[in-house]
Amino acid sequence: MIPLLEIRDLHVRFKIFEGELKVLNGVDMVIGEGEKVGLVGETGCGKTTTMKSVLHVLPIPPAKISGGEILYRGKDILKMKPGEIRRLRKGEMSAIFQDPLAALNPVFTVGHQLRDVIKYSLITQGRENLSKEEISAQSITVLKETGMPDSERILSNYPIQLSGGMRQRVCISEALSAAAKLLMADEPTTNLDVTIQAQILRQLNELVEKRRISILLISHSLGVVRKVTERVYIMYAGNVVETARTKDLFADPLHPYTKALLKSVPKLTGEGISQGIRGRIPNYLNPPSGCRFHPRCDHAMPMCEGERPAAFIVGDNHTVACFLYKR
Amino acid sequence: MNPLSEEILTVENLKKFFVTKQGTVRAVDNISFSIKEGETCGLVGESGSGKTTVAHTIVGIYEPTEGRVSFKGQSISKVFSQRPKNLKKDIRIVFQDPGSSLNPRRSIKQILEVPITVHRTYSNKDRLGRVMELLTMVELPPEEYLYKSPQAIGGGEKQMVAIARALATNPSFVVLDEPTSALDVSVQAKIINLLMHLQKNLNLTYLFITHDLSLMRNIASRVAIMYLGKICEVASTVDFFQNPFHPYTKMLLSSIPTVSDDEEDLKPQEVISRGEIPSPVNVPPGCSFHLRCPEKMEICSQVDPTMVNIREGHVVRCHLWQGTGNV
Amino acid sequence: MSRIELLAAALSRKRASFSKGWYKYSRNPLSILGLTILCLIILAAVFAPYITPYPEHAGAFTNFRESSQPPNPTYFFGTDTVGRDVFTRVIFGYRFSLVLAVVVLSLSIPPGVIMGLIAGYFQGTRIEIAIMRITDIFLAVPPLVLALAITVMLSPNLFNQMMAISLMWWPWYSRLVYSITTSLRHEYFVREAELTGASKLHILLREILPNCAAPILTKMSLDAGFVITVGASLSFLGLGVQPPKPGLGTMVADGAKRLPAEWWMAVFPAIAIVMVILAFNLVGDGLRDMFAVEEV
Repeated sequence: MIPLLEIRDLHVRFKIFEGELKVLNGVDMVIGEGEKVGLVGETGCGKTTTMKSVLHVLPIPPAKISGGEILYRGKDILKMKPGEIRRLRKGEMSAIFQDPLAALNPVFTVGHQLRDVIKYSLITQGRENLSKEEISAQSITVLKETGMPDSERILSNYPIQLSGGMRQRVCISEALSAAAKLLMADEPTTNLDVTIQAQILRQLNELVEKRRISILLISHSLGVVRKVTERVYIMYAGNVVETARTKDLFADPLHPYTKALLKSVPKLTGEGISQGIRGRIPNYLNPPSGCRFHPRCDHAMPMCEGERPAAFIVGDNHTVACFLYKR
Repeated sequence: MNPLSEEILTVENLKKFFVTKQGTVRAVDNISFSIKEGETCGLVGESGSGKTTVAHTIVGIYEPTEGRVSFKGQSISKVFSQRPKNLKKDIRIVFQDPGSSLNPRRSIKQILEVPITVHRTYSNKDRLGRVMELLTMVELPPEEYLYKSPQAIGGGEKQMVAIARALATNPSFVVLDEPTSALDVSVQAKIINLLMHLQKNLNLTYLFITHDLSLMRNIASRVAIMYLGKICEVASTVDFFQNPFHPYTKMLLSSIPTVSDDEEDLKPQEVISRGEIPSPVNVPPGCSFHLRCPEKMEICSQVDPTMVNIREGHVVRCHLWQGTGNV
Repeated sequence: MSRIELLAAALSRKRASFSKGWYKYSRNPLSILGLTILCLIILAAVFAPYITPYPEHAGAFTNFRESSQPPNPTYFFGTDTVGRDVFTRVIFGYRFSLVLAVVVLSLSIPPGVIMGLIAGYFQGTRIEIAIMRITDIFLAVPPLVLALAITVMLSPNLFNQMMAISLMWWPWYSRLVYSITTSLRHEYFVREAELTGASKLHILLREILPNCAAPILTKMSLDAGFVITVGASLSFLGLGVQPPKPGLGTMVADGAKRLPAEWWMAVFPAIAIVMVILAFNLVGDGLRDMFAVEEV
């Protein structure tokens, strides 16, 4: 069965003054139908670039997709014509972003924007134009599903009048109205308060399961990803370094970076704070050769500098890109 | 920390209101607490809790509307322009947003020179030496960073410069306003370690403001929770996490995304987060948390509870325990 | 670390930022074009006596035998009604235009910037109200009208023209700096300087002003062209550079009477004005690109 989304060996570069930033260095990822997948990485690891590549919204100069394929239901997005991609975006893929205030137009009411999304997505899905009343009713329904209290009144408000959590719920309703199959969420709760984050994550989980949508949840927070996803990818400096089922990854992390990352998270058990990871994220102009993590790795071996480790299989659905686990 | 240490900062019945077009914002509404020399006191809350306003009032950005702030026995309830110069040396702050706390058009050397020059702590000749010493103290190699501009360095490094700047005048008390909230977890670990290390070496007292309870679990000796301008609960860290009493505290703890089952087990019986955080312009009557509280009683919507001493060193403001302790 | 090593580090950083700035500037070929034209004009104006064929024509000179000649190999832009080489006079005319731009901007920018800083920093006080109301008053009057009025009151010559234009130019800068200052006023880095106890002078000049530098420089370049236009307009109306001096606007005014038959007397000076304004505008656009913060 073909996966919904498959990214194969994606390479992306950015041209800047000093040269070329070799940001994505061969990203591999698979998302099946109805799967909840997480992508975890720290700032600058390339997770947002990956998402933008899938949505085909990278600013093409200075960015350049220098290799790889992005297959949606088996067809390469990178080779699609603009019309096809637009249709994909309207009917199959959608996204929610970190800052809902920036994602919503400040001069239109929330209801107006939501109805627009519904209108345009329905048209492309080949249904006849629904009447205004039907679109309105639809907007109220979908907003209610996200757990928004008092949906009807909220729809006549402007984004600035709503709280962060409410705005994000509006963005989620917009995404759900447009997306049939794949929802990409880039740090959707990072800007929200902890108690609101808990609500939104819970509701997102329910909605995604109910509608059988696949979700790619991108976050730098391991805890958030653990709550929502079934499988998770860990990214470092443009590469996927480990992937496993969420339960397995947290129970038994293998890659040195994953381990160090997990150790850095302050825990309620009160073990104190780890030292963090020595060194800095690499300069993409001159990234380290071989495994990009080797300068910061306590287990680095001479071969780590030579070539980039492949993803070695270490268990059921568990792969690690590290020579420590070479078969 | 010496158990017999003196109280270095005392806040008594502090109120800070802001008059705006939408109404009076009761940012800080009658809070009292004190901090002992050498300890790290955590002030935790979500948006609208008033924690940043407390920090800013202590540092002198605002003048209290009512109430008193005392430092080393002296009243400092004044705005910074009216404070003696010595005080400006002794109480310092590290701000939340590394992006805007460093002037993008100045070099790091120039940024670090400002407090040194203002307080004339070193002669002109030694100024450069002192700047280099500060950079070394925060583990940033001077040769690399002296002439860099803040735009050329990452968020973590910016915060380290901000910390170096705060320490430039040899203060005894540092307010840390969410210093690592915008940073990745591995970078946060480094900075927290640095801060703890510096605290020990330089005998600093910290007021650490954050929304991250897991972080507090590991570095604070005491924790205070704020909600809509009022303190809900204060206790020593160990006691706080083992025996949380206030429903809001429990809701916060339940909402924390954790990374291991051990942590999940430590959470109190789950209080599902619901409802929105009201705006501080429209504080609900009675106990400001009653609209979201799962254990709400009738009295909660009418009367604001008072602070009660429920155990040694542990106070709570909640009608559930109103008659059990002494005030 | 020795002083020399530090100095080397500082210099290499400066060099790096210059070359990066140049890279950003030169991305647009039009900016290079503008810079080239501007350099040529400036060089021509500076070395006018040495590079023009008939330097003595830039002034009171008559040669009626050669008057009203169309452009030819001896007189590239033709001659005017009294026999002077138009090409030479245009090059010398650039001198007045450039001097005008330099003087007006030098006189108007410093007071404008200072007032903007003070008004912006002391927001909510009477100082701010006073300064901004004065600024508004000056901005309310159309620039040309104001300059006209002033020049007419005094006697018409280049010096008075410069004074008049300067007087109505500063408010634009005070507005610009005021808006930047008010937006930066509450930024954390300014707060931090205040909390540390830095003097207001330090805050205005060392914290806020550096952040205004880029917009000021960009505006300056675009303004230079505008100033020259105003100057040329005043001269055209007879209130600026007086004959027999070769002001570009004056030349257009004189030549206009000879249109359309003896077109070269008005058209070449007019083109010259357009060229210098265009050059300044393109350079201004390039500067704006140079200062723009790149996001990757």
